Amino acid sequence: MARMKFICDSERCIECNGCVTACKNEHEIPWGVNRRRVVTLNDGVPGEKSISVACMHCSDAPCMAVCPVSCFYRTEDGVVLHDKDACIGCGYCSYACPFGAPQFPAAGNFGVRGKMDKCTFCAGGPEEHGSQAEFEKYGRNRLAEGKLPACAEMCSTKALLAGDGDVVADIFRNRVVKRGKGAEVWGWGTAYGSKQAGQPNGQKS
Amino acid sequence: MLLTKKSGAAPAGRREDAARSPFIHSLQRGLSRALPTMDRRAFLRRSGLGVGVGIAAGSLTLVKRAKAAGGDSAITGAGKIEVKRTVCSHCSVGCAIDAVVENGVWVRQEPVFDSPINLGAHCAKGASIREHGHGEYRLRYPMKLVDGKYQRISWDQALNEISAKVLELRKASGPEAVYWIGSSKHSNEQSYLMRKFVSLWGSNNCDHQARICHSTTVAGVANTWGYGAMTNSYNDMQNSKCALYIGSNAAEAHPVSLLHMLHSKENGCRMIVVDPRFTRTAAKADDYVRIRSGSDIPFLFGVLYHVFKNGWDDKKYVNDRVYGMDKVREDVMAKWTPDKVEEACGVPEATVYKVAEAMARNRPSTIVWCMGQTQHTTGNAIVRASCILQLALGNIGVSGGGANIFRGHDNVQGATDVGPNPDSLPGYYGIVEGSWRHYAKVWGVDYDWLKGRFASPTMMTKPGITVSRWIDGVLEKNELIDQDPNLRAVFYWGHAPNSQTRGVEMKRAMDKLDLLVVVDPYPSATAAMAAMPGDPKDLNPNRAVYLLPASTQFETSGSVTASNRSLQWREKVIEPLWESRTDHMIMYQLADKLGFGKELVKNYQLQKVKGMDEPVPEDILREINKSNWSIGYTGQSPERLKAHMKLMASFDVKTLRAKGSVKDPATGYDIEGDYFGLPWPCFGTPELKHPGTHVLYNPSLHVMDGGGNFRANFGVEKDGVNLLAEDGSASKGADIQTGYPEFDHVLLKKLGWWDELTDAEKALAEGKNWKTDLSGGIIRVVMKNHGCHPFGNAKARAVVWNFPDPIPQHREPLYSTRPDLVAKYPSHDDKKAFWRLPTLFKTVQQKNLEDKVAQKFPLILTSGRLVEYEGGGEETRSNPWLAELQQEAFVEINPKTAAERQIRNGDRVWLKSPTGARLNVQALVTERVGPDTVWMPFHFSGRWQGADLLAYYPNGAAPIVRGEAVNTATTYGYDSVTMMQETKTTICQVERA
Amino acid sequence: QATQPGQSQGSGQAAAAQPAASQPTAAVGIQGQNIFQVKPETRPDASSEPGYAEQTNGQRNRVQPGNNAPMWRQVQNGMEGYSSLPKSEAPEAGVLIQAPVQYPGSRFTTAGEAWRQVRNRWLIPYGGSLILITLGALAIFYFAKGPVGQHDPDTGRKIERFTPFERAAHWANAIAFVALMITGIVMAFGKFFLLPILGGTLFGWLTWLLKTLHNFAGPLFAVSLVIVFFTFLRDNWPQKGDLHWLARAGGMLGKPGQEPPSHRFNAGEKIVFWGGVLFLGAIVVASGLVLDKLIPNLAYTRATMQVAHMVHAVATVLMMCLFLGHIYLGTIGMRGAYSAMRNGYVDEEWAREHHAYWYEDIRAGRIPAQRSTPREGGAPDQVRPA
Ligand SMILES: Nc1nc2c(c(=O)[nH]1)N[C@H]1C(S)=C(S)[C@@H](COP(=O)(O)OP(=O)(O)OC[C@H]3O[C@@H](n4cnc5c(=O)[nH]c(N)nc54)[C@H](O)[C@@H]3O)O[C@H]1N2
Ligand SMILES: Nc1nc2c(c(=O)[nH]1)N[C@H]1C(S)=C(S)[C@@H](COP(=O)(O)OP(=O)(O)OC[C@H]3O[C@@H](n4cnc5c(=O)[nH]c(N)nc54)[C@H](O)[C@@H]3O)O[C@H]1N2
Ligand code: HEM
Ligand code: HEM
Ligand code: SF4
Ligand code: SF4
Ligand code: SF4
Ligand code: SF4
Ligand code: SF4
Ligand SMILES: [Mo]
Repeated sequence: MARMKFICDSERCIECNGCVTACKNEHEIPWGVNRRRVVTLNDGVPGEKSISVACMHCSDAPCMAVCPVSCFYRTEDGVVLHDKDACIGCGYCSYACPFGAPQFPAAGNFGVRGKMDKCTFCAGGPEEHGSQAEFEKYGRNRLAEGKLPACAEMCSTKALLAGDGDVVADIFRNRVVKRGKGAEVWGWGTAYGSKQAGQPNGQKS
Repeated sequence: MLLTKKSGAAPAGRREDAARSPFIHSLQRGLSRALPTMDRRAFLRRSGLGVGVGIAAGSLTLVKRAKAAGGDSAITGAGKIEVKRTVCSHCSVGCAIDAVVENGVWVRQEPVFDSPINLGAHCAKGASIREHGHGEYRLRYPMKLVDGKYQRISWDQALNEISAKVLELRKASGPEAVYWIGSSKHSNEQSYLMRKFVSLWGSNNCDHQARICHSTTVAGVANTWGYGAMTNSYNDMQNSKCALYIGSNAAEAHPVSLLHMLHSKENGCRMIVVDPRFTRTAAKADDYVRIRSGSDIPFLFGVLYHVFKNGWDDKKYVNDRVYGMDKVREDVMAKWTPDKVEEACGVPEATVYKVAEAMARNRPSTIVWCMGQTQHTTGNAIVRASCILQLALGNIGVSGGGANIFRGHDNVQGATDVGPNPDSLPGYYGIVEGSWRHYAKVWGVDYDWLKGRFASPTMMTKPGITVSRWIDGVLEKNELIDQDPNLRAVFYWGHAPNSQTRGVEMKRAMDKLDLLVVVDPYPSATAAMAAMPGDPKDLNPNRAVYLLPASTQFETSGSVTASNRSLQWREKVIEPLWESRTDHMIMYQLADKLGFGKELVKNYQLQKVKGMDEPVPEDILREINKSNWSIGYTGQSPERLKAHMKLMASFDVKTLRAKGSVKDPATGYDIEGDYFGLPWPCFGTPELKHPGTHVLYNPSLHVMDGGGNFRANFGVEKDGVNLLAEDGSASKGADIQTGYPEFDHVLLKKLGWWDELTDAEKALAEGKNWKTDLSGGIIRVVMKNHGCHPFGNAKARAVVWNFPDPIPQHREPLYSTRPDLVAKYPSHDDKKAFWRLPTLFKTVQQKNLEDKVAQKFPLILTSGRLVEYEGGGEETRSNPWLAELQQEAFVEINPKTAAERQIRNGDRVWLKSPTGARLNVQALVTERVGPDTVWMPFHFSGRWQGADLLAYYPNGAAPIVRGEAVNTATTYGYDSVTMMQETKTTICQVERA
Repeated sequence: QATQPGQSQGSGQAAAAQPAASQPTAAVGIQGQNIFQVKPETRPDASSEPGYAEQTNGQRNRVQPGNNAPMWRQVQNGMEGYSSLPKSEAPEAGVLIQAPVQYPGSRFTTAGEAWRQVRNRWLIPYGGSLILITLGALAIFYFAKGPVGQHDPDTGRKIERFTPFERAAHWANAIAFVALMITGIVMAFGKFFLLPILGGTLFGWLTWLLKTLHNFAGPLFAVSLVIVFFTFLRDNWPQKGDLHWLARAGGMLGKPGQEPPSHRFNAGEKIVFWGGVLFLGAIVVASGLVLDKLIPNLAYTRATMQVAHMVHAVATVLMMCLFLGHIYLGTIGMRGAYSAMRNGYVDEEWAREHHAYWYEDIRAGRIPAQRSTPREGGAPDQVRPA
């Protein structure tokens, strides 16, 4: 079965935020929730690079490990999803996630956060595929429609690649070979472990 | 314990409860604050629309996973699902979009992977375009300013009152008292209709964004080699070996163009960026060169110096195809030695040499420019310097080379070509009698009647006032302006106010008007500025202000011309929202009230939209097809364009040419040989089946394959020097292998080709040239039978003798921080009646020098774009998906400059300009700019010198994000040919607030 | 070999010959990785240039285009980048990956992962065990020794031990505490014992309810705790005899059944007061208020929350254990104690046996036996007259 992964090619990403608004548009994401965001490093000086980041759907996902209500699950495609009906909005997943992916619609006092929301790899949630309930809680389920994530499909420079880990790695490898340079895939070590093909890394906790 | 997918449909009751989860709640948050009335987004969600659409429309996507999980899910949405193909309306790249519409509601958007232009890619603006289907922050119904507040009125009342007032003004002051600002946002059909409208009204007082965008390019480039347009395309840049971006920040302004460039780069293309700012584009470049704003000529000629010095110029090319390069060479070698270059633009010799070498040794090399070059008092000269560099290197008319001039708005190219220009009729037919007669015939109106519509025959042939200076048309003393009345009424028909300079004076001009009408989906920036209290002395007690809700381009259909000159047809996605009406409907309705409605729509059928008559866009396009021979807007019939939109997948991404023979199932039209979108010039009638021109002036192709050569537009000789191309340099397969002039009936007869015309053609072509022959016969014979170019075959001009500086000269900006350089490179002499207005150059510059203004305002202020916002920004700042990403107007300051002023990142600062304006903005302390320069995005409005204008907006139509407009602070200064405003180089001071 | 994470990429590229095995293994938590074989860099010798290791990303890009090792190194150390999102709305948007730390008990790894390790490897298993052990110990104690009793029968004469105000303060506090304890325990451990019984959705709703309760009860608890603290402060000052009481462990050592004399509160209670109410209470309250986002002008970054959480968890577990003991003694562990807190009165005999010094003071009239003004019929009949 495919193992879904993201690659953001920092040699291509131009911080155009196309991926960000594509996501907002596709899933009707409210103000303040950023399933995806773009970060520019070394801003304004030579060596500047931008990176688009969302949930990486980690192999050994820290968010999943700490959730007090165990509302996370992994699809057969390796996508990390969660059940908003069960989520209590405790924020633990956001403390544990290295990428700052989990988002909350509210940031009130008394720890009121609302239900956690994060990138679903455009794979919806536990509700029935394509149902109204699924759309309202998790956004569209593009994978079920046979489409890839909206952010990557619309990326202005095709910097952002999403899909089966082997396929996106292939695309990226081709570019690297053509360029003859620049082989780092950002975030893969953290998200998928240091071994290849998404093998979990180290001990589980 | 892992949860798995819940199986089956969930029990309804519980799901309903769940829908009220806090998350969904906050989804709804956005609207409750927006509207008291019925809300589309909620409607969308609650009605159950939007569900299942994706699954039904899923088959659209090309990229599919091998096995679609759960593809067997039920389709729950019962509505009618349609997919409409449209084009992003935010910039000239022209990215295609598939809009998924269910029961008339725009529920989704999908990338169009088939599009050879964008391959499904979008920047932030394109990816959020569906927000137009919500339109939450739009103007919903006509409004009128009453006692400082906007009140809702009916369309009938609005049109009646406006037309009565306009007619009254016409009676009192003549047609010249009204100023019409059209729009580069209009489709080709609407722009064309706008020019026709103003002509029938009897005036040349109209303009649109191109003035303040690429007017200097169009004038400079057209006068160099024929047409004022991008010579190649974004796609063609994949063939380049070196690309010099000078004055373009494509990564933010034309993001999807980078798709092609980065691909090219991966194949070895060298990318160089020259800019005062380290931009997102610079971040992607192999080399970045920082220059001082306004010093492009020293840099470009510095590069040219090394090209000449090292013999890198293409001598045969220059000899055969370029006029005047020797004179330029002399000038450059004398004036732009490396020391002078470094003094003027700050770039050391070694760096300049490196750029020259890169461009010379990696041919074909291309140059890219945009506003960094055009928006200067010397804009026309800067762009010509770029042309000259490319001509010297023999890069024009070559695939992979060219002058890739990135245009601005989605249809600024089209609106320039066929829209409301004050000095020409559609197709660049100058406003001389012959052109008027040509159009009188096309429009089916009597020439004398038309002439009678004008204040006088002289006014008919006198270029109108430009949009950059309409305020002076109001404020200038009457005896100093070159038309009888001052301007008394202004129509803002798809144009923002904060995009023109001298905001403080604009406020005064707005107050002095008798009538201000804003026709716009988002008229609010103009509305707020007009409503906010100014100096009571300026306020005209009789002033009337009206806001009319226009539809966007997604609520109508029509064609749009991308930067690469390709035309694309937009299907109508949704019906006009709220009470809005399409621009061409409003034009027709207003014309009707003003008494020339019948003439306006004589050649068009009318269709019913929301129960009202509207001219059919296809018919307007056919009229364009029948008249715009000069620039080849004649082959792009609606049928051909629609076929192209459907068959996008069949065009090659690199060459844009159709890959073999494919037939449109609807019409049977075969796209074989066509270039995508029939990039103009697409000569002759549609039946001639000219494929369009992907690369302009390219002699290596036959003219019927889109080949060509430089245009013969400036005579056959100048001071005894031959202006026609040298022998052997004609396009492939041409029957005439020498240079030749443009074709007319006389030349045709002389060559013995006349009898190849049919009799019907002869009747129409007699006494005409290729541009005025309504039959298209001359073009057909010349191109198809003889492989020649109807516009002749001449040399490009390195020396444009009809311009103030025939050889481009560097001149310091009027507001300069360098008195030493002002002394060496002073500005032009003042002009008395220039586009009907007195225009100052030296006077202002000298006064600034004497007053030592630069000591009080020691920083260069330049401005430009953010990827999330567009233009004046009211439209994009009303889109929550975009607005969230840029919430504050800011000014970029170098850390050193900031430290000197005790400014820390994120502090509020005052930016003060010599006009006395003060802007309260946030400081972004960054190395993007050098210590001598600060930069501001220009997309903000809604705050005015520290005050929030929210109270002056029409209710419910304020954008989400408001901020200080940089143009409140910008200063005087205009290009010496086109009246382009100086927005890229002025001065300011920044202090902690 | 603890190669710097960033350098591993640089060197991976620098030496194309170097086999992929040169990837350093999990010596450090995060690593960038060179997953592909690539062509040699443009200047193969660049890595031997002096100052190579100190290069900025821009400088490195010049000599080795596409080698962003210097930047990734910084990113992995938590370097903040630029994000157009406003700081006020998304304070950490510019942080790609949270800087690595080593929390007590974790490896040196990204802070999120480190926190996860602390929580999942230490707080949950050991905290949970500690609570179970405490409960077990109390149970054993109860079954082995039974409640601490009273040797002689009641005299019938009552002493007012706790005024209505004291009791109200105490019970408000106690109720809040118990609520927090139960809700907290469900949050932390519910998934081990409740989730399998209730199933995901039901457990989710319940926990959401309890979590919300916890979040609101916390501040209430904080307020009542302050009141309790000041109410009982005076009688909890260390006094003569406390050491003796402690030395004999409240009668557990030495002569059995004979409790050493104490003032109103014995040393054990005083330890609970100072250690539990004040020390742990303050920590629990402070960390709890941070977790509740109730401290103004604090940047609620992930790092803050992680630390606050760990502190909270440690302190609450200890506090729970301590007060489980207190609750035990206050209910089934000691006869008469509960009714004292419930009704306010103790029998003179109870006072004499458990708080001898206090009893003497009362007998001597140094402390009134009835401190509050009794409501009509509220006080028992026989209160020793003042
Ligand atoms: N996101 C977005 N995209 C847009 C638009 C938009 O509003 N928003 N507008 C569209 C329109 S209308 C246009 S015209 C284009 C404009 O597209 P661009 O011209 O690429 O955009 P700008 O940011 O205006 O200016 C480009 C660069 O010119 C630099 N510059 C300033 N002064 C000088 C100078 O003297 N010399 C040189 N060489 N460079 C200088 C600035 O630093 C800036 O980085 O973008 C189009 N695309
Ligand atoms: N300081 C500074 N000033 C600049 C520039 C700069 O770089 N610096 N750039 C200049 C340039 S290049 C340009 S092009 C201008 C751009 O400036 P403008 O073109 O004035 O700015 P926009 O906000 O794009 O204005 C377009 C208007 O058309 C409306 N509109 C959109 N679609 C339609 C439609 O279908 N019908 C009608 N009737 N209206 C519609 C929009 O709501 C919007 O109000 O700004 C110029 N000003
Ligand atoms: C002022 C008092 C307190 C406040 C404000 C407070 C607040 C919090 C908050 C905000 C959390 C994080 C979880 C969430 O957001 O729901 C939490 C967790 C927790 N609290 Fe408290 N709390 C307080 C007192 C207590 C007390 C007295 C106890 C124990 C008796 C306790 C036990 C716990 C436990 C066990 C957790 C869960 C830890 C985990 O899941 O790892 N809290 N508390
Ligand atoms: C269900 C929970 C509780 C029960 C049943 C309980 C019971 C009691 C009883 C019976 C006494 C009287 C002991 C005596 O007469 O000496 C007492 C005293 C006291 N309790 Fe509690 N208690 C509970 C929770 C708490 C909590 C959560 C706190 C504070 C965090 C607390 C703080 C005190 C204090 C300060 C005293 C006074 C004695 C002293 O200062 O040492 N109690 N409690
Ligand atoms: S990126 Fe964060 S939220 Fe996503 S799976 Fe990994 S830890 Fe979980
Ligand atoms: S916020 Fe929700 S998803 Fe995240 S850990 Fe808490 S319960 Fe689980
Ligand atoms: S994969 Fe889907 S949900 Fe995730 S960021 Fe991209 S568009 Fe958003
Ligand atoms: S759309 Fe692509 S290029 Fe643009 S910010 Fe996102 S990842 Fe980067
Ligand atoms: S704004 Fe320009 S680049 Fe962005 S999606 Fe629209 S057309 Fe394409
Ligand atoms: Mo523009």
